[in-house]
Formats: sequence, structure tokens, C-alpha cells
Amino acid sequence: MSANMTPVDAGEPGFDRSEGNAAFEEELWALLDEIPDPHIPVSLVEMGMIYDVRDEDGDVTVEMTFPCMGCPAYDFIQDDVRSMLRPVPGVESVTIDIVWDPVWSKDRLTPEVREKMREAGISL
Amino acid sequence: MSEWPAEAVDYVQAIADTKLLLSHRYAEWMLTGPSLEDDIGGASTAQDEAGHVRQLFRLLEQQGRDGEWLEGDRAPEEFRNAATLDATRDSWVEHLVAVATADRAAWYMLDSIASDDFRGLARKIGEDEYFHLEYHDARLATLADDRPEELQGAFEDALPKALAFVGPESYDADSDPVVRSGFADRSAADLRDALVAHYARLFDGTSVSLDGVDRDGPTQDEWDEARRRVGDGAIDQSVVDALTGVRNEEFAAE
Repeated sequence: MSANMTPVDAGEPGFDRSEGNAAFEEELWALLDEIPDPHIPVSLVEMGMIYDVRDEDGDVTVEMTFPCMGCPAYDFIQDDVRSMLRPVPGVESVTIDIVWDPVWSKDRLTPEVREKMREAGISL
Repeated sequence: MSEWPAEAVDYVQAIADTKLLLSHRYAEWMLTGPSLEDDIGGASTAQDEAGHVRQLFRLLEQQGRDGEWLEGDRAPEEFRNAATLDATRDSWVEHLVAVATADRAAWYMLDSIASDDFRGLARKIGEDEYFHLEYHDARLATLADDRPEELQGAFEDALPKALAFVGPESYDADSDPVVRSGFADRSAADLRDALVAHYARLFDGTSVSLDGVDRDGPTQDEWDEARRRVGDGAIDQSVVDALTGVRNEEFAAE
């Protein structure tokens, strides 16, 4: 789980959450922050893979990317996202929009996440 | 997403199908290369290419191509892969030359796409391709020293097919349909020149000569625009079966 939930600008480490996020979207972000990356002991949010979460009257769109385009977990990570958000009261549908702009890079990892990865034996 | 002109959809289809076959050919050789490093490199590259295909097919579906057809519910002659990848190769040298020339040709074509729909996607694919092409060139350089005659013979077979895949020499900036439509910013003629110049540089100072490579063909009349090749060659039905997992159908997740 992430310790730093402060919104930052796109391209900076952390989470690209737009200003003025509704409390409901914050709740969804927090849930996504509980989904582990299957390869690395941090969450999808900590990995900087979630670019945006938007709610429009219960229709939720998650904009996300992958560090590796050939990720073997491509489908089941998306299943995890849907499984986490779909049961939430107030969520009617979950749409995942895979995007590649901006391209993911290690610059999206916060110092805290980098330290967590180093402690797990992952070099950056 | 914008609506692409028909020739642009065909262009991306050919790149995607070539990447699909690249993934298959890399996977075929990933246990039988000359070294463990080559096997690991081939396995990683196969995975990258499969990932590229997934995204390109997604775009093609958004342009109206049928998803099941894209995934392999089609006849062998409906695949638009570079002809260098039609058949598995008899030797690792021939395999390396086939995948190296096809992979580089497909990357040059993808990199020439100017459509905003490829912003980020092309850069991300390019990050992978950087390593693919570096690996190919490093291995080709060692083979130029160790097995020059075999390497030269493989190039004389593969490079003309890769050039045909890029397009006919007569497709210049004024006549190449994907350039004229604004979808790409470099013509087949430009990309062909870049491809030949690259390998000329790579083999400069070695005993490998590209003088015997047909650099002029094909003519526009003999060239199949949709399949970006000459003639009616195609992959074998067994390859389509492998790509679609026919023999492992019972294990497929629904």
C-alpha cells in the first residue's frame, strides 16, 4: 500500500490524479492501491501504472499502462482491476483504457517505492 | 481515434502480421540456438513481439477489422507477413538473418507512421526494438567474421524479401499511398535506402558482400500491395494452427 497519496503532475513520480477528484474516486484509487503487481512486491498504483480514474454516474474508467508491452499478466491484471472495483457500491461498470502516452518509465516510482523495491532485492 | 485510410489499415496489418510471425519464429528457435544467451534473447524477443501484436490488433479492431479474423481465424494466404518469415529456416544463421531483416523492416515502417494514434505506442515499441536490433546486429557482426559465406547467402535470400515488404522502389514521397495520405512521413523508397545502407555499414570491412543482393525489385506491377510481396507464397496451415492454439484448445481460459 502506498504511504504517499499526494497528487502530482504527470511525468513526476507518484500518482497522476487530476485535481478536484471526488471522494468516490479517491476511494477507488485506494482500492487499486491494494492490488499487487504480480511480478514486483508493490501495488499497481505504486508502480505508476494507473494514470487516471474517472467516475461518471457509476461508470468508472481506469486509464492505465504497462511497464512491459508483452506483459504475460496483461489480462489478469485487468481482471484484478475489474474484480476490485466492480463490487464497490455505486460502481455500475468498469472500463479499462490501456494507454501508452506518456510511456511508463522508472521515473514514475517515488523514492519510497524505490526503497521498498531495493529492500526486496530489485535493482533500479 | 481517427479513421485511417484503407491503405493505412493494410500497412499496419502487414506490420502486425509480421510481428506475429516474428514471435512465432523466435519461439521456434528459443531452445535450439547456438548458446543459452541466444535462446534467452529469442524468448524475450518473442514475448515483446507478442505484446506489440496485441496492441496493433487492438488498433486494427478499432478500425473495423474483425477480432477473430485478426487472431487467426483466416486462411494462410490472408496473413500479410513479410515473406522472409513464411517458413522455418534450416539453420540458425538463416533464421537470424530472416528475423533480423524482417524485424528491422517492420520497425522502420512503424517508426515512419505519423498518425497521432501511435503517439506513445510507437515510442514504447521502439524501446523494445532498440534491444532487438542491437542484438541482431551484434550477432550478425560475429557471424560476418565466423561464417561469412553462409551469412552472405542468407542475406541474398532474405534482404530482397524484406525490401519487397517495405514496398517497391517506385514508391517515393510523391507516389507512396501512405505518405500521400499523410499517415506516414517516409516513403518505401526512403525506408529501402535506409535498410540497405544499414547493412552496408554493418558489413563494411568484413568479407560479407551485399553486391549479390537484388536491391531493385520488385516492380510495382508484380508487387502485391495488400500482402507486400511478390508471388503467392504463404505460411503453412500448421503455423496458423500453432498461432491459434488448436492442439491446446482444451487448456484455453474462457
